[in-house]
Amino acid sequence: MGELRIALQSLKMSIHTRLQYRVDSAVAALAVFIRESANIIVIYLALLKFDRINEWNVNEMLFLFSLLFLTYAFVVSLFADLRYFSDTIREGRFDRLMVRPRGLLFQLVLNNADIIASVGHGTLGIILFLVSAGRVGIQWNTGTVLYYTGTIIGGVLMQGGMFIIFSSLSFYFVETGSIRDIFYWNMRKFAGYPISIYPKVIQIIMIYIVPFAFVNYFPAQYLLRKPDMAQYPEIYMYLAPFAGIMIYFLAYLFWRFSVKRYKSTGN
Amino acid sequence: MEHMIEVSHVKRYYKVAKREQGMGNSIRHLFKRKYEIKRAVDDVSFTIKKGEIVGFIGPNGAGKSTTVKMLSGILYPDDGSVKIDGFIPYKQRKQYVKNIGVVFGQKSQLNWDLPLIESFELMRYIYKIPMDLYEENLHQFTELLDMEDFLYQPVRQLSLGQRMRGDIVAALLHSPKIVFFDEPTIGLDVVAKEKIRNFIRYMNQKNDTTIIFTTHDMQDIEKICERLIIIDSGKKIYDGSIQDIKNRYTSIKNIKLILEDGRKEMRTYDTSKKPMNQIMEEIFRENQVKDISICETEIDEIIRDIYEGSSRILSSEL
Repeated sequence: MGELRIALQSLKMSIHTRLQYRVDSAVAALAVFIRESANIIVIYLALLKFDRINEWNVNEMLFLFSLLFLTYAFVVSLFADLRYFSDTIREGRFDRLMVRPRGLLFQLVLNNADIIASVGHGTLGIILFLVSAGRVGIQWNTGTVLYYTGTIIGGVLMQGGMFIIFSSLSFYFVETGSIRDIFYWNMRKFAGYPISIYPKVIQIIMIYIVPFAFVNYFPAQYLLRKPDMAQYPEIYMYLAPFAGIMIYFLAYLFWRFSVKRYKSTGN
Repeated sequence: MEHMIEVSHVKRYYKVAKREQGMGNSIRHLFKRKYEIKRAVDDVSFTIKKGEIVGFIGPNGAGKSTTVKMLSGILYPDDGSVKIDGFIPYKQRKQYVKNIGVVFGQKSQLNWDLPLIESFELMRYIYKIPMDLYEENLHQFTELLDMEDFLYQPVRQLSLGQRMRGDIVAALLHSPKIVFFDEPTIGLDVVAKEKIRNFIRYMNQKNDTTIIFTTHDMQDIEKICERLIIIDSGKKIYDGSIQDIKNRYTSIKNIKLILEDGRKEMRTYDTSKKPMNQIMEEIFRENQVKDISICETEIDEIIRDIYEGSSRILSSEL
């Protein structure tokens, strides 16, 4: 219970902070929305020419995208503070968290939540979902709704876990932003398309190293059953919601280990 | 009385990569680094009783902050042990820190864009402070520190002194048994400093709070605490009362002269080596004196003398 109160207070403070600059915030949210939409529109127009990519039609592709945006809308608020974690360490703000009687990671969650980005990405995610979900032939019943919910939670945890791993690296190295950019942002760009269109190396990275495939590709496959799934083990579709939980857990263990090291080395 | 804080033979080292000049060495440095071991804290021991206020001073880089970090559970010592209120801070962090408050003078924990009251609310949840205690403390602290006027103003609009008062309240709302202040008066004006000093003294007297604070301001030390620990280069070089250290210097007098021709002179004499009347005789024989004043050694000077000579003056007696 206590934890929930803290989380709510953190969220409230984040929202109040943004509301201090009402117009700025509205413009910023709109800007995020337009920037991301522009990318989608370009892709959409290009796809109209090709008609299909590896048997995926335009609506199916939009569905694939919607998962990416919807999950990121949660990630960017829940784990916002982890994006600047190397600064937190460098400026000594982490010490402040250590003298409070709460979990260290917990204190970072929802702190400085980036509500603006959440609104931008979330709106786009919902629009893409509404446009595509009815046209891709998904039978919405209890099973698929449950699977879909699980897959959103899994996707959020998967990306949160990645953020935690990149943040933990800050305990070892001063500058970690570029590592995160390479592994997170570049791979996220690949994740917009069915991974089967890529060379084998990239597929392997997307499945086993920076497992974005479990955030949108395999979940979409479970719901859409496209023929290119044949080249991957079928179980991956069923594993998708759980992969996120597993990665998050591993990330947490790595974090714990790294904090211990921080205590013994300082900065 | 039982000891609240027991620190015994604590050591803390850190590695510094050693750089050498020259191209060849730079390249070699990439592959094989040579490290130098620096001793941030080198075998420091002391005990502090419940309700004591202890000033912790030393030149920059002496190891004050590192010591405070070990006492507050942020760092492990490399050797030795720390026991505070029955806890081992760095091993039982979550349990231990419920009982302590830490004020970092240079690192605010307040939310920059929001009124103080919102950050205080967050503290209420983080420390699970019962509502009646929270309200009592908040009311009392804001009154003592004269904060009613700016509780609802965004922190970014506050002056440094107001912000620091906010930080102190945020760290004390849960009524901690032990409070660490790391340079709480840094950069503040005289009025703000005085308010904070009074508040620290009050907290100590009313609640028997054990207080450790680091500072570079000797006025803080003189006005707040009775006991002083000086560390330099990681070693404790003095531990005792302020009065004691002043007594050692009572024989040192500063004599300020204004001569007939308008020149000013400042001389330092040791009355234990030369009696005062002899000093006076010499002065009046050799100079045309217009005005003369004799001053005690200021605590600032004493401390400077200790830092510079480190062990020169005191070590023989320690």
